[in-house]
Amino acid sequence: MRCRDVEALWDELRGECQASLKETVGVHLRACPSCQDMYEQYEGVAYCLSCLPRPEPSCDLAKKVVQHLAALKGKVHLPIVLSAVETPLGRVYVGFKHNRIAYVSLDTGEPFGDVVERAGRRLRRDVVPGEAPVWLVRALENFFSTWTLDDAIVDISDLTPFEQAALRAAARIPPGEVRSYAWVATQIGRPRAARAVGRVMARNPLPLLFPCHRVVDSSGDLHDYFYGIEMKARLLEMEGYRR
Amino acid sequence: MDDYQRRLYGFALRMTGNREDAEEIVQDAFVRAYRALGKMSPEQRADLRLQPWLYTITLNVTRNRLRGKRPTNVALDALADPDAILRESNEGPPQPETIVEQNTEIALVERALLQLPMHLRAAATLRFIEGRSHPEIAEILHQPIGTVKSHVHRAVRILRRILGPQIGRFSPEGVPMHALS
Repeated sequence: MRCRDVEALWDELRGECQASLKETVGVHLRACPSCQDMYEQYEGVAYCLSCLPRPEPSCDLAKKVVQHLAALKGKVHLPIVLSAVETPLGRVYVGFKHNRIAYVSLDTGEPFGDVVERAGRRLRRDVVPGEAPVWLVRALENFFSTWTLDDAIVDISDLTPFEQAALRAAARIPPGEVRSYAWVATQIGRPRAARAVGRVMARNPLPLLFPCHRVVDSSGDLHDYFYGIEMKARLLEMEGYRR
Repeated sequence: MDDYQRRLYGFALRMTGNREDAEEIVQDAFVRAYRALGKMSPEQRADLRLQPWLYTITLNVTRNRLRGKRPTNVALDALADPDAILRESNEGPPQPETIVEQNTEIALVERALLQLPMHLRAAATLRFIEGRSHPEIAEILHQPIGTVKSHVHRAVRILRRILGPQIGRFSPEGVPMHALS
């Protein structure tokens, strides 16, 4: 057995292993002072680590955790109300809660029940059908006249901080212009996360409002869109985009 | 929960070297665990091995938190000259945010541990401080057992170089340095 093999076996031999292997290594160690030194030093490292004091958290950590969990338990999750609204793009299904829009889906001809189910899966909440209130119709009219998002009418609090940051960065792209996935990633301080940004855009629960259609390949290609690349091109054209 | 909290806090502290970070990590980990449990089916909950799972969540939160912060990884030239780290340990400016108290052997070991790259630090902490077996560490880190063994070994090799040959004089009193001598 070579010294390097013996070295690699050190931690293995501390646990339960074959007696014959222990014996073989033991023979080597008795004849090899440098390996003996090495084993002693490795053992010293392991011993010192095992002797490190177990730190105690501050006394109020348990209280903080319990309070945090209690707050979560007490949080009432209202269902999302999903309505159909007519827009310049045709029928759009819009989900809202607390007077804010939380979900948007273009009508692709699929049954309303399927849209309800998809919204529930995406937001992990109950979704119920309902009438569109006046504020919602006005908010959409306003959006389609300016193609600019009013942050006060949307709610993306159910999304992760990363998803929220990526969508908000996309909303900063002016109408009629495009930016790359890498640009969005850089904007949110995660320059290496362009692919993750791509995933966020693909799962955007508020398309149109958070304009994932303005996010394209670094080469300028439209790349892809949940509602088809033709719809992406149409949306950009409606906004005045020229390649 | 107290026991879990203490264990996870200790683990997070060894990973970050900062008490405030460790406390926030543990809180965040419990909240994530609570949310995840709420989404699990009864079968998934029944199959869940709670303690390794909580370590995994804590490690993920730690990674997310440390991402973007200045890495504590040791520079390669420092590894080539472990004495430099020892000198720095004794002579460097005090860092109020670190758990390290200077001029003690414990502090040297704690400091050396924080010099390791994160993946090696996690492996060494779980193995020697938390006392986990290789299969348990593999489960926590979602790595093959061979990778875990390799990381543990590399961590110990680097720590030995940082701490110097005198580390061999530390051993449990009355117990032979290793069972094979």
